[in-house]
Amino acid sequence: MNWGRVLGVIEKYMHESRRDIFRVFDVIWWPVFQLFVWGLFSAYLQQVSPNTPNIASVLLGAIMLWSFFDRASRDVSIIVVVEMWNRNLINIFATPLKLSEYLMGIMVVAITKLMVSALFLVFLASVLYAFRIESIGWYFIPATVGLTMLGWSISLITQSCLLRFGQSVEVFIWAAATLMQPFSCVFYPVSSLPPWGRMIAMTLPSTYLFENMRGVMNGQPVDMTGLGISFGLNVLYFLLALWIFYQAFAGAKVRGALVKQS
Amino acid sequence: MEPILAVKHLTKRFGDFIAVNDISFSIKEGEIVGLLGPNGAGKSTTIFMLLDLTTPTSGDIRVLGMNYADDREKILSRINYSSTYIELSPRLTVYENLLFMTRMYGVVNAREQIEKYGKVFNIADLFGSQQYRLSAGQKTRVALAKAFLNEPTILLLDEPTASLDPDIADLVRKEILASQARGMTVLLASHNMAEVEEVCDRVLFIDHGKIVAEDTPEELAKAVRLVRVNLMMKDGQKRTVAFAKKAGFGTTVEHRSVTIEVDEHDIAYLLNGLAEKQVEYSQISIDKPTLEDYFIKVSKEGRR
Repeated sequence: MNWGRVLGVIEKYMHESRRDIFRVFDVIWWPVFQLFVWGLFSAYLQQVSPNTPNIASVLLGAIMLWSFFDRASRDVSIIVVVEMWNRNLINIFATPLKLSEYLMGIMVVAITKLMVSALFLVFLASVLYAFRIESIGWYFIPATVGLTMLGWSISLITQSCLLRFGQSVEVFIWAAATLMQPFSCVFYPVSSLPPWGRMIAMTLPSTYLFENMRGVMNGQPVDMTGLGISFGLNVLYFLLALWIFYQAFAGAKVRGALVKQS
Repeated sequence: MEPILAVKHLTKRFGDFIAVNDISFSIKEGEIVGLLGPNGAGKSTTIFMLLDLTTPTSGDIRVLGMNYADDREKILSRINYSSTYIELSPRLTVYENLLFMTRMYGVVNAREQIEKYGKVFNIADLFGSQQYRLSAGQKTRVALAKAFLNEPTILLLDEPTASLDPDIADLVRKEILASQARGMTVLLASHNMAEVEEVCDRVLFIDHGKIVAEDTPEELAKAVRLVRVNLMMKDGQKRTVAFAKKAGFGTTVEHRSVTIEVDEHDIAYLLNGLAEKQVEYSQISIDKPTLEDYFIKVSKEGRR
């Protein structure tokens, strides 16, 4: 790994993000939009179900953790697809830059954007809805790390599809995370799903993380077994997604797609 | 001495289509070699394989005695590439784009190099401009500056002077020749025949994925034996055309100007014949075949 080149990639995308007002807007807009809608909905639920304690906080906690996953699944893919739109992949990969260095660089950029977005979201939730991040406690860290990792796995698969099928499948960048939302049990417990749905849910690391979050916010201890399974599945999926991405990249070079898409 | 770039039996297939068909060539250190051919001949695919952007179906590429499987990083740090048809990041300024490239190539004296080639290609005053605001010619000059930043041992250029004003194009050709004097090796794909004739030591002519000719520009031009005899007629235009047609020479008439295509050995026969017909002309000029004539000849043969 050449850290000078990784730093170069980070510097490039930081400059680009700063220059593009729409991308700055994107970091803030969607989380705020979701927080606003779900915050109002939570407040309404609290009013109509006063006997259900903590319902507003649980929903707000869910939407915040979900935004980590949602952003992580999109940010890295958006960087790649924008390079395709800009016909710049030839310039980038005609240099000694390795694929691993490129991925490392864009992931650091994605984390930075994610942090900015999350901090803003936590601040806004505390101001608008009196949400307290401390209610999730230390569990906030493994939950966000796990969801970010899953988001990147999804992103790598999306990028593989882009390399294989071209820009016609770029809609998956925005849709991939949403497709997983019903089975990740973001806003409801796994027991709400039908049996076949539960089977799917159990294969997703996100399900264990959201299930645990609800438990923690309702005063229960962290289910370490669930957290362990989630971590194991995440590592497995990430390695698998990485392997698929490298295969897709090699395949794009064989088909000449890397230069055609540029 | 081992060639700096050696290609053996290189083939690239896309499904049933053969883009590059079993080509072999080598380039010596300090040589400027032209890669010529009609659109779709396989020039760009060859360049992309030389840059490891496209994987060959078969064949071997050796750059500085190394291959991509073992030494990709080492090879690419000593090559650079420029094309009129590629873009740098549109949101970045020219300076930021060039700085990014110096980071990728590990250029130690990045700022000095950017300043140096900013001056050479006359883009120093554009350093603060965002790439998307530049004209096509300005973008080409930035892409050229980018190609020289790491002082590459081998420079691959695809249509480097397309969209440039003549004075800037001339400046670019001078820089290519100056880089040769510094020991740089250049592979130049171009449609500009005059440019190729001016700067290239040798030409590889590629058509339908195959190298159909390989020689100096002068020798390739000689392969076209037809010369053009241009006459500005005073009297006897009809007799001239009739005589030329009867002799089987190609003839073009435009107002008082007649152009006759003849084999160079038949020039004397043509002029004697016209004298016998008592034809009068005020001006005569004879155009020797050029590399462009060779290009047209081979392209026509390829389409048949």
